[in-house]
Formats: sequence, structure tokens, C-alpha cells
Amino acid sequence: MYNILEEVISFLKKVPPFQFLDDETLSSITEDVSMDFYPKGTTIVYQDGPLGDYIRVIKRGAVKVTVGFSEAEEVVIDYREDGELIGYLALLNSSKSRANVIAIEDTVCYLLRVDVIADLMKTNPQVNEFFQKSFLNKFLDKAYKELHSKNRPYNIGWNLLYTTSIEEVGTKKVITAPQDISIRDAAKIMSENRISSVVLVNSDNMPVGIITDRDLREKVVAKGRNFDSSAKDIMSLPFLRVDAQETLFEALLKMIKHNVHHLPIVKDGVVSGIITNHDVILFQGTSPITLAKDIENQKDIEGLAPLARRVENIVSLLLNENLRAMNIGRVIAEINDRIIGKVLELAELKLGKPPVPYCWIVFGSEGRKEQAYKTDQDNAIIYKDTNSNGEDTDVRKYFAEFTSFVAQQLFKCGFPPCPVNYTASNPRLCQPLKVWKKNFGNWILELRNDSIINSPIFFDFRPVFGDFNLAYELRDEINYYLREQRVFFGYMANKAVRNMPPLGFLKTFVVEKSGEYKDKLNLKTKGIAPIVDMVRLFALEKQIDEVSTLDRIDALKDKHQIVAEYADELLHSLEFLMTLRLQNQFEQIKRKALVDNFIDPDNLTNLEKKTIKEAFQVISSVQDLLIERYKSMIL
Amino acid sequence: MNFMKREQVFDKNAKITNERYVVIDTELTGLNEQKDSIVSIGAVKMDGRLIKIRQTFHRLVKPKTSLTSKSIIIHKITPSEVEEKPLIDDVIKAFLDFCEERIIIGHFVSIDMTFINKEVRRVLGTFVPNHVLDTSLIYSYLKKKYPRKTIFFTYPGEMELYEMAKRFGIPCSSTHDALSDAFVTAQLFQRFIPMLVGIGISRIGDLLHIASPFTKDARYRLSGEIVNF
Repeated sequence: MYNILEEVISFLKKVPPFQFLDDETLSSITEDVSMDFYPKGTTIVYQDGPLGDYIRVIKRGAVKVTVGFSEAEEVVIDYREDGELIGYLALLNSSKSRANVIAIEDTVCYLLRVDVIADLMKTNPQVNEFFQKSFLNKFLDKAYKELHSKNRPYNIGWNLLYTTSIEEVGTKKVITAPQDISIRDAAKIMSENRISSVVLVNSDNMPVGIITDRDLREKVVAKGRNFDSSAKDIMSLPFLRVDAQETLFEALLKMIKHNVHHLPIVKDGVVSGIITNHDVILFQGTSPITLAKDIENQKDIEGLAPLARRVENIVSLLLNENLRAMNIGRVIAEINDRIIGKVLELAELKLGKPPVPYCWIVFGSEGRKEQAYKTDQDNAIIYKDTNSNGEDTDVRKYFAEFTSFVAQQLFKCGFPPCPVNYTASNPRLCQPLKVWKKNFGNWILELRNDSIINSPIFFDFRPVFGDFNLAYELRDEINYYLREQRVFFGYMANKAVRNMPPLGFLKTFVVEKSGEYKDKLNLKTKGIAPIVDMVRLFALEKQIDEVSTLDRIDALKDKHQIVAEYADELLHSLEFLMTLRLQNQFEQIKRKALVDNFIDPDNLTNLEKKTIKEAFQVISSVQDLLIERYKSMIL
Repeated sequence: MNFMKREQVFDKNAKITNERYVVIDTELTGLNEQKDSIVSIGAVKMDGRLIKIRQTFHRLVKPKTSLTSKSIIIHKITPSEVEEKPLIDDVIKAFLDFCEERIIIGHFVSIDMTFINKEVRRVLGTFVPNHVLDTSLIYSYLKKKYPRKTIFFTYPGEMELYEMAKRFGIPCSSTHDALSDAFVTAQLFQRFIPMLVGIGISRIGDLLHIASPFTKDARYRLSGEIVNF
């Protein structure tokens, strides 16, 4: 008689690690086996999603393993086919998937229960070793190399493991004891120092072993061992250690492989610290996502401020990860938005709900999400139109107090004050919707900029907190004004071509002719701003809602003739210049120097110089097109 | 019998990916309901998309009518093989217990259900209360909805289980018995599920509407006719 189970068993007999098992064991692990089918294109496991209750064995088909949250950012780290496994990270105590698993062919899998296989790992050393090794091979060899390529997604918690050295995370404090002390004394040392491990050293002060709280539990208390016997008898052997320069990932692997929670760190031949699994877990908490969650959980400014100041560390971590500047800007904006939201929430708690609905908007580079380090802040308030002058006076009074309180709190959270006072605490930037509409209207329709709204960066506003509809309504009104306003566009075109990139840059190496920044290149005014300005103008021409340069280019690709032609060139140029600036700023911060936009051409590699020149040529070409388009209006 | 006490608790809005199924096949001495009878019953359970490989049912029964040489050739079951087997009366009770309240699925299942119901009526004086789905009807429905898919290319014999399985890349063992056919049918249904969801058939009520071989009334009709054949 035909037995469909036999097919499963005979298949598993060809598949490691199940091939090591006898029939009885195979039969018991397949007690609850099921079979599933995934059509080509199905995502079987989602990155950061639950790993679920099953280990999947591919019976027939193929899958790719990727990291990244969208197709554009996707990096394939592995392909797997017949006889290979999916989801065994669940066996290593991970509940979340580190990667996406997507069927690239119609794929049939056998599903085995994780708890059953985990039990098997405990009793069968061969199976245990297999899974540890798979983990090593798959993730060390492949992911390690692949993830170091430039186009990495921001799968931060995981990637940081590859780029951070053990030294940076481990505990510096390490307590040693002579190897001949008793268990009682070792325990006493640990308890007095409130540490979970003690390193035993020989007479030359060289480490010979380690005793952890686990050894005390398992080898002393549970076994009823005499507390006065030698500590050496219970220390963990072989004495595992990691080098201070190795990555955190390698430490984690060693912990998993040898099933230990403590590893002494060795530097220049001596023990310099201890790293525990707890350190690794805490470290992964430095990811922007965790930070964002932590921000949400704060109840007061005292809790928020230290978190907000960690944003700067995240920039450096992301830079270490080779993330591109624009993506860093987006991640940072995401976090800063939450900080601002939290501050406003706290302000409302303290001063009471505002008398009318309002929307907190940010503009400039903050609006465009193109800021990594908080170089300045531009924000404002749009509030709902009031019915009478009397009411407006009350509202103004409330917001005056409110915005000044918020400004103070934001300062505590590391937001520097704006040098030109483009902040909501400036009464001219805290206005009812109708005033905002009127000011933009006057400017666009009559080129009257007698209000404070006189810089193109105001068009880069986006809502961050409060009633977003107020901002949307203003945007709609602006888009309405903008239709066919060629005169206004001409005026904006003038501003966009005002800053010409120095094309002779390579020949002369001289950019600023005088002053403090003599012989230096201002990346912002000569490169980044011209692109941002031109793309903004294109967005206004087509009344695009998007405000970040990246999104604007994307939205304009099939709407705007110039962008259609130059989209990729503009993107790459901007990306490159912004990354260069950010790396430079990062160096400045490390040197504790003032953060600015200037780079010294002498410090650039030849490749960088060449790329800058190409970027400048792109800018120049697009500026030429712009001048041609508005030639009658260019002054 | 447990199944007779069973309440038909049925949520037609349940997702087809969460529903519990039992995929069945029978082998018969022939197709004449008056003269022929069941030779074997095979079944495998499915929880949503998952085929529960260990949760199977397979029984040969002692046929009441003699095996024809034709059915011997098809099923490779010889008279001596079934001589020692239990009577259908016992098998049918065990089968109904196995089915629980699951939705029964089969390929041209009305034939199987006609013979099963005949026995259930005779032995227990009732009928199988479970809802029933026919994979051949699902196939026809999908074919209409995915007219350009080459997998539904019109070809003689496309409705036959093995031909259909071949198209969907389902391997068929050389064994040709009730359980292996139920298993093939289960795999067919497994492939149909994402296609159904893809065209918005994600609730069990909708699926029954398009692929139940019996209308609501017909389920209660215990006529001798072979429905839908």
C-alpha cells in the first residue's frame, strides 16, 4: 500500500542533517509534518517578521534570501533550493527573521516543527553541529561579504554587528582571581563586584579559564559540590576568548557555537574586558528603530533629552554602514520628527490643549529630510483661522507661550536655534491658515515678498505634528496659485542659477578666493543648493506635493521634460555631493571641529575629484537648459 | 456516532486559508451505483494550505460486488487482496470520524459522495453532513477567470486528475490507490488556493458557492443518480 509519509522519510534521508538520523528518530520528528506550496513570487518569511513555528525543508523549488525593505534596496544574500532549509535561525533563539525569503520558483516545502527540531539539537550532537555550521557558513561567508558592498539597505541592528568591534561594546572592567582560589572565594568576588563572571589567571597573570554564574548554578549548586573545592575544577574549558578587534558578529557566533554567554576580550595578549550576550543585546538596541520606540515611551523631557542626543551617534553608525546620505537623512528625519512630536505632546500636557487646532511644520533641509547633523532648524505653526480679533489675541497669547516653551525643550534635545529666526516662536511664523495663504499668494501672484516668507525653502514645508490637513490645505492653495505663473517661475529660475558650480575646479583647485575658507570648496552653495533649487522649481512648475529632492525627482520623472532626461544624473550627483559633505562633517565632529559645508580639495582622492567634476557638469547642463527656458526673464 | 451529534457550526466568512479540510478519494468496482460498491477509501487532512502528511486514512474494504477485471487492471487490487478486508460498515464509521467537521474535497467528488452516502444511509440511516468541494469545479472556475494562463490551456483529458496534476507540476507516484490520489488532489487544491485568493475568492462561503457539487438542496437529496457526471 502506498504511504505518502514514506516519501517524506526517504526525501529527508537524503537531506542533511536529517540523513544522520535513524528511522525511529525520523519517524518521531515527522509526527506533525505538513507540506506547503508557495507560488513563484510569494514571500515566505518577512524580514523582521516572525519566524513562526516551522523549519521548512525545500522539497522542490527555489527561494532567494534577501535583506532590505523594498525591492530597490533589496540585497540577495543567498539562494536555496531542493533539500535546503528555511528559517533555522529560529533554532538559535531568534524569534524574528533577519531576512526575507521569497520563492523564485513554485516551491513545495515540508514543514517541521521548530520545537521538535530544537529538542533534537539538544540530544543529537551531529544535528547540533550542522545547524551551528549552517549558520556560520550562510551568514558569515555570504552575508558578511555581500553586506559590505556599497548598496546596503538599512537593516541596522543586524548590519551593525558586522561593523562594530568587540572592543567598542564589551565591558572594560574585568575582575581576575588567582586560579587556586576556592569556589566560595570566587563566588564572593563575583557577588562583591556585582559581576556575573570572574577570570582565573595563573602566576604570570595569564588567563587560564573563566567562571560564570552559570557554572556556579550548574556545576556547584545543582551537583552539590563542596564550596571549598578549587575554583579551577568548575571553570569553563577550553578557555574561549575573542580579540578586541574582531567584530561583534564573531563574538555572537562564538557564544552561539559554544553555548556560552561570556567571552573574555583579549588585546595585545592580555585580558582587557568581558563581553556578554547581554552587551550584544543592549548594543542592538542602538538601532534607529529601537531609538524611535524609546522616544515614544518617554514621559518627560528629562527622559527624552538624552535619547535625542543619541541621534548623532546614529549618524556615525549609519555612515560606518556605508549608507548613502539621502537614506541617512530620511532615517534621521524619522527620528527627529518623533522627538519634535514628543516635545509638542509634552508642551500640550504642560500648557493645556491649544485653543484651536494647529499644525507644526518644518521646512528647509529638515522639510526635505536632507539633514543629517542638526545644523539648523526651520519650523513654523499654521493654526486654524479664528473667528474674531479677540479670539485671535487669545490664541496668539497661547502660542507665544507654547512656542517659547517648545523652543527651549528642543534646544535641550540638541536642536540648535535658527540663525535667521525661522522658527515658530517668531510670531510672524505662527499664523492662521488664511495669513499663510495670503503671504504665499502675494509672493507667487504679485512677487511681493514683504512678509517673512521670502525664501524658496518655505516651499519645502511638510507637516510633522498636529492637524496635517492645515498643511495640506495650504499646499493645495499654493499649487492653485502656481498654475501658469511663468513670471514667478522666472523669478525662481534666477535664484536657481545664481550659484554656478566652479567648472574650472579641477584645474585651479581654488574656489573661495578669500577669507577663512580660502582655497576651499563650499559643497552646499556650489553643488547641493543648485540641484535642490532647480528641482524645487521643477516641482513648483508641475505642482508636485513632494518636498524631498529625491521624491521630487521621482515624481517628476514622467511629468517634466528636463527631469525625464536628467533624473539619474541629478540623483547621483546630489547623492554623491551630500555623502561627501556628510563624511566631511563626520570627520569634523570626530575632531570636535565646527561643522560646516567646506571641503579641502587637497584631501580628495583622484576618483572623488573626477566625480565632483562630473556632478558639476550635470548641474551646469541643467542650469543651461533652465536659462534657455526662461531666457527672457533671467537677469 | 460522533458525527451525528455534531453541530454544523459553520462560518461562511472564514478565510479559505484558515479552513480545515479533508481530501478524499474512493475506489469503486465500477460506476453503476446500483451494482457497484466501494473498494477502498483514502483521505488526508489539510489545515488551511498545509497538507498534514501524517493525518491520513486508508482502508481497503471487502466489496459486496465482485471485482470486475476492468477495475482490477485500474486499481491493481486483486480479489484475494480484498477478501480479508473489513466490511464497509466498519470502515464507513471510521471514515466519518476521521472527517470530523472538515470540508470534504475530492476530484469529481460527487461520484465518491454518491457511493459514500449510499453506505452511510444504509448503515446509519443518514447522510454525510459535511460541506463538499470539487477540485474539478474549482479548476473550471479558475480557467474562466485566468483565460490567458497557459496552465489552463484547453486540451483533451485536461480534467483528469493525473493530467491536471502533471500540468501543475505535481508528481504522481506509480501507485494508483485511493490515498495517493487523495494526496494528489490535496496538492492540486493547495495550488488553487493562492489563485483563488488572487481573484478575490478568500471566504469559504464564496468558494462553496462556486465549487460545491451539490446545491444546498441537493445535499439532502439521496437519489440514486450520480450527480454531476
